[in-house]
Amino acid sequence: MTPATLRRSYVESTPRERIVALADPGTFREILDPFARCSSPYLAEQGVVAQRDDGVVIGRALLEGRDVGAIAVDGRFLGGSIGEIGGAKIARVLERARDGAFLLLDTGGIRLQEANLGLLAIAEICDAIVALRERAPVVAVIAGRVGCYGGMSIAAALCSQIVMSPVGRFGLNGPEVIEQEAGIEEFDARDRPATWRATGGLRRVAQGHADILVEDDLDDIARTLREAFRATRNRERLSLARLRDRFAESAPA
Amino acid sequence: MQRIVLERAGGTPVTKRAHLGAVASGNLEVLCEPPAGDGATIVVSTSVDGYEPVWRATLERFLEQHFIAAAIEINDFGATPAMVSLRLEQALELAR
Amino acid sequence: MKGAIWAQALLENARAVPGFPPSVIVLDGTIAHLAYRAISILPNASARFPRARNGEFGLDEGLAVAEAVRGASGDSAILSIVDVPGQAFGRREEAAGLHLSLAVAVESYVEERRRGRPIFALIVGKAISGAFLAHGMQAGWIGALSDGDVEIHVMPAASVARVTRSTDDEVARIASVVPATARDVATFAAFGALDALFDVIDSRAPAPAEIEQVRAAIDQARREGLGTRAPADRLRRPPAAARRALALDVRRRIDEAW
Repeated sequence: MTPATLRRSYVESTPRERIVALADPGTFREILDPFARCSSPYLAEQGVVAQRDDGVVIGRALLEGRDVGAIAVDGRFLGGSIGEIGGAKIARVLERARDGAFLLLDTGGIRLQEANLGLLAIAEICDAIVALRERAPVVAVIAGRVGCYGGMSIAAALCSQIVMSPVGRFGLNGPEVIEQEAGIEEFDARDRPATWRATGGLRRVAQGHADILVEDDLDDIARTLREAFRATRNRERLSLARLRDRFAESAPA
Repeated sequence: MQRIVLERAGGTPVTKRAHLGAVASGNLEVLCEPPAGDGATIVVSTSVDGYEPVWRATLERFLEQHFIAAAIEINDFGATPAMVSLRLEQALELAR
Repeated sequence: MKGAIWAQALLENARAVPGFPPSVIVLDGTIAHLAYRAISILPNASARFPRARNGEFGLDEGLAVAEAVRGASGDSAILSIVDVPGQAFGRREEAAGLHLSLAVAVESYVEERRRGRPIFALIVGKAISGAFLAHGMQAGWIGALSDGDVEIHVMPAASVARVTRSTDDEVARIASVVPATARDVATFAAFGALDALFDVIDSRAPAPAEIEQVRAAIDQARREGLGTRAPADRLRRPPAAARRALALDVRRRIDEAW
């Protein structure tokens, strides 16, 4: 375990710093970087300034010599939401990656400002993950401030392995959405500890919804990512029987 | 949404590209690269309207302090002038 | 109940497959002598999870859809009839892992399609958000009723207004300049996302000629092998060249740089 003072925090790092720290040193080659100026034309009309990489960092990197696709969603920009460009970036990397891919997910899901274009992209991403994991590991890391929600939580659940830190949260509907849709008596979004208890990394790993618990430490996550890639235990399909048992426990009496 | 453009002739060109920051509340994204022509150009897109004089003062001060030629793009989500200056200094440090 | 109405109308020699919760209707039958399994989500006022009583896609629904898809006989295609107002919003659902329920449905559709089982979807009502991702969007061929009730979006309309703190007029204005935020079926079709649109007089009471028209389209699509196409294939349909030009450009530039 790394002493706290020497830790490099994943949470405090930018998406590019995260990929660089996790890949084999000097091997990350970004594609469509911010200077490619590939950004959303739909946001200005809706009063939002676009970020030049559309909030998604992609490229190719080595991981213990494996030629993998690297993907990081920038949770700082519009909650890490997925629009047409970011969605196409993720989908294409997954389709092209040779020896697997890692996805650093910090995302609230589909970008409301690009609604159905995000929806179409996430269907492509889900398909690409299942196709890639048949021949190589696809590892999701959920360890950022936003967590992983919405359509991208479905994509993450399809990955071969899921790595989480206690900071990460993983679910379909975020607390604010539930409160808004079902009322504050169903869920009080201000009760933040309750959210972490229900959907945080500790809970999700204990439930078996995520595979490996890590600290908020880039070196720890880099080690774990390599373990996940080496592990032969690739989740081939979600177990219906296991889910049925788990959901039965959750049913109201 | 507001767009502000500032131009100034002359200066020593930056040699590299630099990118930092994010379009997040109270933050901004800066792209700094060698200019196509000569002189400095700063193009600002901001989601917060009505602060053009503050922007001009902040950017002019930066260009007074640094006689550089560069193409700088700023994508802003309500950053304070202090944050803007900090990000510009950081970008210049990386791009020189 | 439109899901059940259309499932029963479209399949010939239909028989209900037992063993599923009341909120998921599964029918085996034929169209033009070829086998199909139709699946649809229905409201169930006595569902054990209270947040999934109005036809929402909840914990039990994802499992049932997955089981129905995985359990279809070898020669049967899947026909997903889509009328889902959204996913279940609930504390219990999140704690149990609602995303896994949707993922297991998605996974089943993708795997079966990749193994060569044709998957067709027909949107007869609402196709909202995660629920549509889990039930419909992985089909190789998607048709929809050209009907005012059909709605395709990532969020219920009322929620969009609340989240964006916009008036209905503002939401409508944005939809007119950013078509991706529109909800109507014609705009969604214009992205190349739909393979067929069917005019109907009353989507709750399909006329024999209307049923025949949908059957014929599905039969032809199956004979042409369209049911096994991947979602990314939608980018190759003619409308996508203009309406999804950005996605196509991003993909091309990634290929050039790879």
